[in-house]
Amino acid sequence: MSADATRLPAARRGAARSVRATAVRDRTGRLLRLFLPLGLYLLFTLVPFYWMLLFALRPAGSTSLLPWPVTFEHFDTVWNGMGFRTYFTNSVLIAALTLVSVTFFALMGGYALARFAFRGRRAFMLALLCTQFVPGAMMLIPLFNVFQLLHLIDTRWSLVVAETVFQLPLAMILMSGFVKNVPVELEESAMVDGCGRLRAFLAVVLPLLRPGIVAVGSFAFIGSWNNFLFALMFLNDPELQTVPVGLQTTIGENTVDFGALAAGGVVAAVPVVLVFAFVQKYLVQGMSAGAVKG
Amino acid sequence: MARSLRTAAAALAALGLLTACGSGGSAGDSAKKTVITFWDNNAGPARTPLYQHLIDEFEKAHPGIEVKYVGVTSSEVAEKYNTAIAAGSTPDVGGVTTALLASLTAQKALVPLDERLAGSPLNGKLSAAMLETSKAAAGGKGLYQLPSSGNQDVIWYRADKFEEAGIGVPKTWDELFAAAAKLTDRSKNQYGFTIRGGAGSGFQVLAEAYAYSGLTEVFDANGKSTVDDPKNVELIARIAAQYKQTTPEADVSNAYPQMLAQFQANQVMMVHHNLGSTKDVRSALGDKAAGMLLPAGPNGTATLANPVDGFGVFKNSKHQDAAWTFLEYLDSHGANSYWNENAGQIPANTEAYADDWYVKSGITKRAGDALNSGKLVQPPVYLPQYSKITKTEAEPNFQKVLLGRMSPADFAKSVADALTKAQADYRAKNG
Repeated sequence: MSADATRLPAARRGAARSVRATAVRDRTGRLLRLFLPLGLYLLFTLVPFYWMLLFALRPAGSTSLLPWPVTFEHFDTVWNGMGFRTYFTNSVLIAALTLVSVTFFALMGGYALARFAFRGRRAFMLALLCTQFVPGAMMLIPLFNVFQLLHLIDTRWSLVVAETVFQLPLAMILMSGFVKNVPVELEESAMVDGCGRLRAFLAVVLPLLRPGIVAVGSFAFIGSWNNFLFALMFLNDPELQTVPVGLQTTIGENTVDFGALAAGGVVAAVPVVLVFAFVQKYLVQGMSAGAVKG
Repeated sequence: MARSLRTAAAALAALGLLTACGSGGSAGDSAKKTVITFWDNNAGPARTPLYQHLIDEFEKAHPGIEVKYVGVTSSEVAEKYNTAIAAGSTPDVGGVTTALLASLTAQKALVPLDERLAGSPLNGKLSAAMLETSKAAAGGKGLYQLPSSGNQDVIWYRADKFEEAGIGVPKTWDELFAAAAKLTDRSKNQYGFTIRGGAGSGFQVLAEAYAYSGLTEVFDANGKSTVDDPKNVELIARIAAQYKQTTPEADVSNAYPQMLAQFQANQVMMVHHNLGSTKDVRSALGDKAAGMLLPAGPNGTATLANPVDGFGVFKNSKHQDAAWTFLEYLDSHGANSYWNENAGQIPANTEAYADDWYVKSGITKRAGDALNSGKLVQPPVYLPQYSKITKTEAEPNFQKVLLGRMSPADFAKSVADALTKAQADYRAKNG
């Protein structure tokens, strides 16, 4: 304690102590109210991931709660032995093309829904929403027949087209919301300055839609990456199969290779985690866009 | 300039993606070959490598035929077949268990194999009991499945713990319940038995009931189900009474993986499953575990037939001769013996019964002997509603029995009534 402090009057020393005590109480309260529940929630969320990593990295038969000694034998098994190298490449190709396709058509459709007043627009949007009530399984056979006529069965295109068709309605609705949040005056100003509608869209609106594009594109990528049903039904050639179907083959009726299943799970999760890690900033912007009108 | 390069690179990358998205593959040599597609109905880490090996061997022996293997997991196979049938896009050959057969034959998706078998070197060399089960599963209207392997219910038990406790292998249900009580020490989280309360419980409890009652038919002469016979009800009640006494509390929702995990972790001493778990049990416990057949009841014993695995040739196949050639190979002595030895199942090819591995296989041979004894009770898998009754309806009701919310008699009656009605409907439609 400094000499100045000892010379403070007793009342002021008491007030200072009270302020410090209040600060400590606030910190403790904040810790208990905010960080403790959040920490518990984080633990709850991360335990399954830890469990997956544990099974993927520890030797078969080990009951250790720590992945030690570390082994990569399960990754070798799934990547080289079970064909995940091929499945991964296929999934990346299909998800990337779906992303491009969904984003492109959602931009076009979303812009039209947001900017053009046409007869039946509300009914059209309602119809788009209603398509979300139709489960994929119900559409399997009609899609199968159409793809067969188009010779798309057993090609990766079948998944790209099916995924695009299924994801587009929601993506268009989302995108129209993002477009609505871009002031129409900006486009009008660009057009007054000599831009055509397309140029005004590309030069003025598109850059402002970046959070929306990232949000819609990410959902398209993840949705396509995780799709199991269409891949199972439309693809037969093992050389064309995707990661979710490959994962399923690690589970036999009576035999489960937990190490391979966990390693396959890690392989399947990595792109999703990477996508969210890189785009989370845009996602948050995209999600909150238009939340507050000013 | 830089922008042009970037544009060109992006265009090339897009072109690469587009090219890569084609189905790929060139005709090449395969254009000269007959290509048949084979869907495995239970792909997984245990079976897929076995088929891949056999396909390699088959293609070496038959250079004119190429087999494209498609692995489908057992949980998805029904949906995949049904979609393919509806879309007219079935494979040439498919793995078909007797459980799937009713649905496939009802949709007229398979071709009968009786004539092909009659003219084949395999004639007379396949298990008569499995052929009978195959025909029964198709409603007795012919052979639509070429059986390849059989499975039977067994009880795996901890031979080492039985020996430590001085208990002999139970031959009757009374002895089994007594052994379970003796081996239970709840303070140590150790239980003598485990009940399947989750997925698959319906068939399992019926297998236990018929083994106890000794009834040899699921329907009496009037088409009434025997599931609610007092002896069956008695065993169901005795099984339910074991719950939480000699079995873990979690059994109410446990299915095969959890039961086996408990068995491997020293928590339960006996687990009722079937030969499908042979590999898991052997690799985890070695000689510490052994298998026994379901014990007998007061009236002797009866054995409910397990699904028989096999293959079907699909009607839409343009290469049915090549498909049959492939099936003949898979059911030949060497191939069938190899597959069943490694999968831990009972071979359909009776020549394999003299093979060293089978003679020394212990529980597999005993289960095979039981299967081939001619005393199998045929479950009515030909009924379209069979799966719904024994799974969707029976399983949650059996959980109610375990939890004391439904009486064993009511449970058995609900299953029996549903089966009786389904049988009457089937007879009305099929004569």
